[in-house]
Amino acid sequence: MSNSEHFANIMVQCFIDAVQNGVDLVPVVADSTSTAKIKPFVDAFPDRLVNVGIAEQVLVGTAAGLALAGKVAVTCNAAPFLISRANEQVKVDVCYNNTNVKLFGLNSGASYGPLASTHHSIDDISVMRGFGNIRIFAPSCPRECKQIIDYVIAEEGPAYIRMDGKALPELHDENYQFVAGEPSLLRSGKQVVICALGSVVHEAVAASDILKEQGIDVSVVNVSSIRPLNKQALAKMLGETKHIISVEEHNINGGLGSVVAEIMAEQGIVAKLVRLGIEDGGYAAAGDRPYTRKMLSIDSMGIVAVCQQLLQSEILNA
Amino acid sequence: MNPFKLEVEELERKARSVRRKIIKLNANSPAGGHTGADLSQVEIVTALYFRILNCAPDRLTDDTRDIYIQSKGHAVGGYYCCLAEAGYFPEAWLPTYQHNDSHLPGHPVRQKTPGVELNTGALGHGLPVAVGLALAAKRDASPRKVYVLTGDGELAEGSNWEAALVAAHYKLDNLIVINDKNNLQLAGSTESIMKTDPLDKKWQAFGFNVTQCDGNNVASVVETLEGLKAEGKPNVVIANTIKGAGVSFIAGRPEWHHRVPKGDEVELALKELSDV
Ligand SMILES: Cc1ncc(C[n+]2csc(CCOP(=O)(O)OP(=O)(O)O)c2C)c(N)n1
Ligand SMILES: [Mg+2]
Repeated sequence: MSNSEHFANIMVQCFIDAVQNGVDLVPVVADSTSTAKIKPFVDAFPDRLVNVGIAEQVLVGTAAGLALAGKVAVTCNAAPFLISRANEQVKVDVCYNNTNVKLFGLNSGASYGPLASTHHSIDDISVMRGFGNIRIFAPSCPRECKQIIDYVIAEEGPAYIRMDGKALPELHDENYQFVAGEPSLLRSGKQVVICALGSVVHEAVAASDILKEQGIDVSVVNVSSIRPLNKQALAKMLGETKHIISVEEHNINGGLGSVVAEIMAEQGIVAKLVRLGIEDGGYAAAGDRPYTRKMLSIDSMGIVAVCQQLLQSEILNA
Repeated sequence: MNPFKLEVEELERKARSVRRKIIKLNANSPAGGHTGADLSQVEIVTALYFRILNCAPDRLTDDTRDIYIQSKGHAVGGYYCCLAEAGYFPEAWLPTYQHNDSHLPGHPVRQKTPGVELNTGALGHGLPVAVGLALAAKRDASPRKVYVLTGDGELAEGSNWEAALVAAHYKLDNLIVINDKNNLQLAGSTESIMKTDPLDKKWQAFGFNVTQCDGNNVASVVETLEGLKAEGKPNVVIANTIKGAGVSFIAGRPEWHHRVPKGDEVELALKELSDV
């Protein structure tokens, strides 16, 4: 796919642009400059990067200190080690102290596939949702990714950005405008609403295209803002059908599936919800992306099958 | 008892055989590998499994067996090759390294691979868990010894030093920490990314009995490990190694942290590692 881009490259370009525009931005990494793809930044600004070594707690604490001293601190490391190892630094030094730190969770979800569960972050959204006052975003395509990053750099305060680890193609044209909090309707249909976030939005879009050929008409909603989130806007989209599916490369507990379930309950939306993702108590398998997604039914064919089953049961129950 | 009890010369042959396996294993991987990290630790892990450890493939439920923990979990390829060589699982599994649903995933998973004692891959976990195992052995008056291999870049994780305090506090002289000190980490030299030197003085200050060895020389590794005493202090062996040791074009090159041999490199490496 020629228009595919790796999110970390987009991130680094946003950092370079920010510094060129006068933002006192300091990236902090934990040994792995390659995970962060930060070389072009270092080439442009040789003395800006801070590398704390393999020490994620220090990564986040140092970023908080830099932020307290007036810098825009951005941490760039693998999401699993950010979320799990530096959990209390995120909670206390970043969230509770409300410091101007932007946490980039790189290669999130099961992006690290065969490297197995220590390298998967399938709990990052639920963990971040449990903390106060941190914005939570999960871009799905290059244009959206860039706009989210520009937004979080410009806005004072903590943010977590869930970054997928593979190059992903565009979903939007050049007129696209990211608005924090707003879910976006990518496909409009009447029979099922599929909500997704991050890289699996592409699976949902592909599923809707396959279903369309079968004469089945489904909506796809991209929920790239988890906090803030315009619940009324999402409720309106969910209320269009009797069948809702949430899709995420994340545990179904505490992530998008929970967000959708909460909104349905709070807004009195009566529909059947199927939450697709890593099941309760499970782990993502160690394997490549197609394999892992197939196991979890979060690939396009898995989503198609679930839609078909939902509509089938509707006919049987009618 | 170790079921092999190999002499130094035999251990050297084993180490070469393990290295050849490492080259093939990584060449076969669909998802890259950590060839330099695998090669760095060969003499240490080979000496342990073929001479030092009181452990055998048929004694994995014996709770007096010695425990080896691969804290630098990314070098799991080197670990697998040694375990296969020692008969913990069939060698036929090696070509499945990092394939979908393999018994040999990209970091150690004890539920998948016989012989693996601890799931690792997030650095800085091995030593605290080893402390718990050593403490339990003390309380149970078990003869068990606990060995844990860390990287040197890995020592930047504070959990190591928190655990070091505990180990010294509880006088865990049945604990043997081995630092694979190859002076390289992921992005470059430890000197440039995060200094750990002077490492011996740090461990001494934390109350450890400190010894050093040439970590890519089996005789030196064996002599050092066999010379350790249990005198009320935890032990650390600083094993001075070369990342990528054994293959001229991999040794000392940081880019081989996360690289696998391809094409001609496979044959070239195997040639350098042949027994003649
Ligand atoms: C908690 C954690 N942070 C980061 C990583 C990513 N990582 C894997 S290996 C590595 C470098 C390890 O260097 P060192 O400990 O010196 O081991 P060597 O490969 O040199 O033996 C890094 C940063 C990780 N696996 N776990
Ligand atoms: Mg090292």
